[in-house]
Amino acid sequence: MKMIEVEVNGRMVRGYAVVRGGVLWTHANGRTWTTETGSKRRGSKAGAGASSNPSEITAPMPGKIIKISAPVGSDVAAGDVVIVMEAMKMEYTLKAQAAGRVAEISATAGDQVTLGAVLAKLELEK
Amino acid sequence: MAKLAIANRGEVAVRIILAAQELGIPTVLLHSEVDVGTRAWRMADEKVCIGPATTAESYLRIDRNIEGALAAGATMVHPGFGFLSENADFAQACIDAGLIFIGPKPETIRALGDKISAKQLIEKANVPTVPGYAGSDQSLETLVAHAQRIGFPVIVKAAAGGGGRGMKVIRSKAEAPELIASAQREGKAAFGSEIVFLEKYLDHAKHIEFQVFGDFTGRCVHLFERECTVQRRHQKIVEESLSPSLTPELRAQMAAAAVGLAEKAGYQGAGTVEFLVQDGEFYFLEMNTRLQVEHPVTEMVLGVDLVKAQILTAMKAFRIWKQSELTPRGHSIECRLYAEDSYNRGLPSTGELLGMHWPEGPGRRYEVGFEAGDEVTAYYDPMIAKVIVWDEDRPRAIRKMLRTLDDCVVFGVKTNIPYLKAILTHKDFLDGSMTTQFISQYFPEGLEAQEPTEEMAAFAAGALKSVSSVGAVSSAAGVSPWTQGWRFV
Repeated sequence: MKMIEVEVNGRMVRGYAVVRGGVLWTHANGRTWTTETGSKRRGSKAGAGASSNPSEITAPMPGKIIKISAPVGSDVAAGDVVIVMEAMKMEYTLKAQAAGRVAEISATAGDQVTLGAVLAKLELEK
Repeated sequence: MAKLAIANRGEVAVRIILAAQELGIPTVLLHSEVDVGTRAWRMADEKVCIGPATTAESYLRIDRNIEGALAAGATMVHPGFGFLSENADFAQACIDAGLIFIGPKPETIRALGDKISAKQLIEKANVPTVPGYAGSDQSLETLVAHAQRIGFPVIVKAAAGGGGRGMKVIRSKAEAPELIASAQREGKAAFGSEIVFLEKYLDHAKHIEFQVFGDFTGRCVHLFERECTVQRRHQKIVEESLSPSLTPELRAQMAAAAVGLAEKAGYQGAGTVEFLVQDGEFYFLEMNTRLQVEHPVTEMVLGVDLVKAQILTAMKAFRIWKQSELTPRGHSIECRLYAEDSYNRGLPSTGELLGMHWPEGPGRRYEVGFEAGDEVTAYYDPMIAKVIVWDEDRPRAIRKMLRTLDDCVVFGVKTNIPYLKAILTHKDFLDGSMTTQFISQYFPEGLEAQEPTEEMAAFAAGALKSVSSVGAVSSAAGVSPWTQGWRFV
């Protein structure tokens, strides 16, 4: 990976960049950030922690379900915790990406789940 | 001819291979199916697949590790850390198969791993433990009297308990009878037993551990301490040597206790005696009978190579340092770099590493298990690398670590670099007063999301043109990145 220079407001800023699967990864001044480039190519695994489909909540890693925080029928807002799971000694909260109602929960506390397993389905607000 | 099998993976396997290469010893990597093509796999002279990705069917299988080592004609096994490294049965199985196990004797691992025999050893070595009461007289008067003797705050725990039930923190004598009775009731209700025990509650302790090393003649030395107080649910994140928290007197007392314990246990090879320190008193926590993840900070301040010393000790080819030869200089810090989202409670991030850059410089060191193009999977620990720095004193080492983290580039997965920088610039870390409550007190939820600056948008726009023009992508030209979804990673 080679260093690049970009002129910003008449000043040269040095950094790094890579583009893959419609996502631009940039690093400059000690910060790393991504930008969607608009070219919607499939296959990017960046940010696999969140499912791309907001009506589903999937396991971002293999682990154990600790708690169902929003049972079937609950109304949730974007950012509300639906399920708490544990992996590698840590607890993780899986949140709703959009507002809606919990339509289906396919795991119970204590279950071991595999990576990518669909744990809940949401009926999204129209 | 010596040949070294490595019963581990990732950055520690790389670390062991580098040490073996310097010693001219060929290596055999015992790996799982998904670890084919990893950096350690590419570096090892030979590789033997010992099973599928699931650790219970590969890295934790004693039989398959032994079979793999024998099939490749290995003469020694290095267990690294984690997996089978503290498993006495594995150490014994190696010996039974005619292999040298790089670590202490199986009976030493067993003695220190078993609570009762460990307690006997600790008492023999006069190592202080957390004061408490676990007697059979369970009358309220006796329990309150003992709580007062121990000194408040005291924690009362249901003997049959776990998971926080039947557990109370008592802060004064006035509330002691009520809280002890309450713990007894909860214990009775939850576990069918009202037996409780008392322990001094260490609510502002520091985690400080001593590196010890024993040679094949039974002589032990210490290699000073590491402070690993910054922990998230018992997982260490930032480690340093020396500790900013010890007086020379306390350091000498703790070192003597650690060496005493290692000698009583007949310790051979590298080990670590962990303590909690609070208000100038220290209490034994446990002894780890293996190499530690954070061993590089000790190597940096002392100028030693612990992994080479381990291998040579097991080969009876190395008489360890004299205590007087071990003089620490300067300060070293290690940060564990994880593939996780700093802005979302440390949620693990998996995927292909699209690019990485670890800029060299005086006093910088990286222990990396991956190269660009490798994948971070959800099967194993999400640690990408350990970043280690050395400088003349602690403030300079912190400054160097911050600059080094600024310079490290990881594309393809999110990292905890922003989180590490927030820890390193917190006033409690800067003045060295942090306690084991540091993370839960200040950073329980990770970091707050941030807004990108205009300058960053302009940089991204220019960068996109720059990487697009060299042919990395063609379809994205003409798109304005700053109008699209932004994310710090």
